[in-house]
Amino acid sequence: MAPILSVDRVTKYFAGLAALKEVSFELRQGGIYGLIGPNGAGKTTLLTIVAGALRPTAGSVIFQDRRLSGAKSFRAVRAGIVRTHQIPRPFRALSVLANISVGSRFGLHAQRSPSGTHDERRILEWVGLAHLADAPAATLSVGDQKRLELARALAARPKLLLCDEVCSGLTESETLSVLRLLREIQQAGTTILYVEHNLKAIMSVCDHVIVMNYGRKLAEGSPQAMQNDPAVIEAYIGRTAGT
Amino acid sequence: MMSAVDLLNLVIAALLLAGVYAAMSVGMIIVYGVMKIVNLAHAGFLMLGAYFVYELYARFSIDPLLGVLLAFPVFFFIGLGVHWILIRRIPSSDQPTLTSLLLLFGLWLVLQNLGYLIWGNADRAILTPRTLYVLQIGPISFPAVRLIVFGAAVASIGGLELVLHKTWFGRAVRALMQNSDAGRIVGVNVEKTARIAFGMGIAFAGAAGGLLAMLYSFSPDFGGSFLLRAFVIIVLGGLESFAGVAIGALILALAETFSILVLPASYQPAIAFSLLVLALVVLPEGVAGLWNKRHRLA
Amino acid sequence: MKGGLNSVSSRSKFAAALAPFFLVAILALLPLLEPGSETIRLLFVTFVWVTVSVAWNLLGGFGGQVSFGFAVFYGLGAYAAALSLNRGISPILSFLLAGTVAVLASLLVGLPTFRLKGPYFAIATIGASEAVRVVMTNVSITGGASGYRIMETGTFDQLQHFYTALALAVIAVAISMLVQRSKFGLALIAIREDEEAASDLGVNPFRAKLLAHALAAALTGAAGGVYARYAAFIHPQGVFAFSVGVAILLMPIIGGVGTLWGPVIGAVVYGLVHEELIASFPQLHLLLYGSLLILIIFFEPGGVMGLLEKSFRVFAHTRRLSGSHPQR
Repeated sequence: MAPILSVDRVTKYFAGLAALKEVSFELRQGGIYGLIGPNGAGKTTLLTIVAGALRPTAGSVIFQDRRLSGAKSFRAVRAGIVRTHQIPRPFRALSVLANISVGSRFGLHAQRSPSGTHDERRILEWVGLAHLADAPAATLSVGDQKRLELARALAARPKLLLCDEVCSGLTESETLSVLRLLREIQQAGTTILYVEHNLKAIMSVCDHVIVMNYGRKLAEGSPQAMQNDPAVIEAYIGRTAGT
Repeated sequence: MMSAVDLLNLVIAALLLAGVYAAMSVGMIIVYGVMKIVNLAHAGFLMLGAYFVYELYARFSIDPLLGVLLAFPVFFFIGLGVHWILIRRIPSSDQPTLTSLLLLFGLWLVLQNLGYLIWGNADRAILTPRTLYVLQIGPISFPAVRLIVFGAAVASIGGLELVLHKTWFGRAVRALMQNSDAGRIVGVNVEKTARIAFGMGIAFAGAAGGLLAMLYSFSPDFGGSFLLRAFVIIVLGGLESFAGVAIGALILALAETFSILVLPASYQPAIAFSLLVLALVVLPEGVAGLWNKRHRLA
Repeated sequence: MKGGLNSVSSRSKFAAALAPFFLVAILALLPLLEPGSETIRLLFVTFVWVTVSVAWNLLGGFGGQVSFGFAVFYGLGAYAAALSLNRGISPILSFLLAGTVAVLASLLVGLPTFRLKGPYFAIATIGASEAVRVVMTNVSITGGASGYRIMETGTFDQLQHFYTALALAVIAVAISMLVQRSKFGLALIAIREDEEAASDLGVNPFRAKLLAHALAAALTGAAGGVYARYAAFIHPQGVFAFSVGVAILLMPIIGGVGTLWGPVIGAVVYGLVHEELIASFPQLHLLLYGSLLILIIFFEPGGVMGLLEKSFRVFAHTRRLSGSHPQR
């Protein structure tokens, strides 16, 4: 079966500095993939390129056999790729429900009807924000804002969901419930690419892990294999020792 | 057909003009680069600078060039004051916000009105013996005052380059212009640098206004067309270096100087605007890349 | 978003929904009271201001894109209508033409600037304002600096202009209401709050901004046409004046930028106060408006509507505390 996403020798330069160098990997439909690496490895840059908000200097991203043009992220959303942001970016003047309705009304198979439909309410409950439906997004705690990020992205009905550090800054129990949520999303048929610093979280929820360092793909494989891979260990330990 | 001498004269005229235009935009660039604020009141300070130099000359017979030199410290402190009262309360962001645009626009209105109140709306001009003196080198004629203004403009930009490369403050400014978060991490005192940068921006606005006053007549609504020109220069030349400013200023000056052959001089704001639209249409990616913050690495 | 309003009874909500109709009815019937031509003129001007204020708010308030150059649309609309009327074209068609010309102008400014991040749009609007004023002052077909006169057959019927302006204002407010409740309005607000995040959810910011700009320009151009027909004489220093551009953005900010009724309130306040101001303090109006802008931005960015909302919340809170209003 063809992969749902194919990243082919993606390279990105910012004014002479290489953020990504010939990164390649494939994602199969329905899996949860982790993307890890030390700080500065290029994870968020890669995610932004896959999300369609940034054009690679070289290489291509192919989603469902169609090449992404990478000019504006809304085109990627219309194709089925939606991202969450590392630092939540809620629409502060809108209520939680209205925030989610932006996703549902502009995402894939956009809804014509106004907010308050079954889908949006369901997502709210799923994510645990039903009691805050009418609250202004500006009043949410950080943890709730992260849930809102996820809810909004889900409302856009992604085939491929890009999660950027959804667990950072959360408590242990909050992290567990988000991870549970991710598995439920996967079971509903969505493919997930998950960037995270919290290695425990990644190892517990992902089927397959891709490790990056200094803009290159270092290794990929099962979580166990990556945990024991000497090059991966070196990359993390080497960094910690060096700083 | 135009003779080679005439062509050369026009090119030289454009060159001299470009120098002044460059000096005029520098103030806006510093403020935008460091604080990501578009200083719409820049126009108002250009105007005040013009009147400052005018008054020094008219009342105290102080040579306008000296007046321009004095404008630097005077307007620097005015800039610090304005920053303390108004600007520091603007929430910082990496994009010009509604708040900052409207606030500075309001300030510009206030400054304009102050101008009208103090000086009325009659046109003023600075006329010195130099104004009419023309230097002849071979077939080329240089109006002396334009030469002098050009020299002063280049000197002040040169001084700015020195400051930017040789002082701690200059390094801080350059760091913040590239990436304010990185600058903060490295230890740059953003608030203090912003305050001084704003002061410098206003200092250059005032001094440049004085220089412009030596070339043109002026009234309290003086700044508007120069605001547009400053922005066109920034769009054309970019924020990367002052070489960019020089290029942008040169392109604009050439366009305006040669347009006089076909259009009345009063059409010049239309020239600047057309150039702006053209630049934005032709270079959308490049220009956007210049104004955006550098994309951070993961 | 407005938690306080949830506790308002449905009867009050019904009254609030009906109030605008009553207002329009009252205004429409006002001439029967024979208030005098000066009052009619004042109301006419206010209706024109309401239209442009509401129009600016579509792009600036809902969409968050500040334009300093709406005088361009007003003036171009005025001239387009004037030229058209002088060729014998009917007023309605002339106003439509005025709106169309304004829309084209909005594309000229919006197409190069809306794709880009940064202050390009705002600055381009300042530039457009300067450029158009300068060109119109010099172009002779339209009379240049001396202005242009409209020669219409038939007698001057002040009430006809009154009702035309009222109708346009009502249309403007109705459009604003529709936009606010629509998917398009949601897109604009998302763009205003965070354009990139909006795009990351599937909103096309470029198209939305162009559309809002065009809609606002059309209304403003039509308003310029309506004004031109009334005044029968227009000149560049009048319709393209810097102060017109300032006024157009000041009104929604005074009243409450981003709200439905804020621009209306702001236009009414401005319409009533402006004439007095010019008469009493002719030298100070820029100073006053500039200071007003600064004060509003610092102390009450929500304008009059913001103040009203705050006092309503305080009122509702004290009512609840005193037990006179049942808890939810």
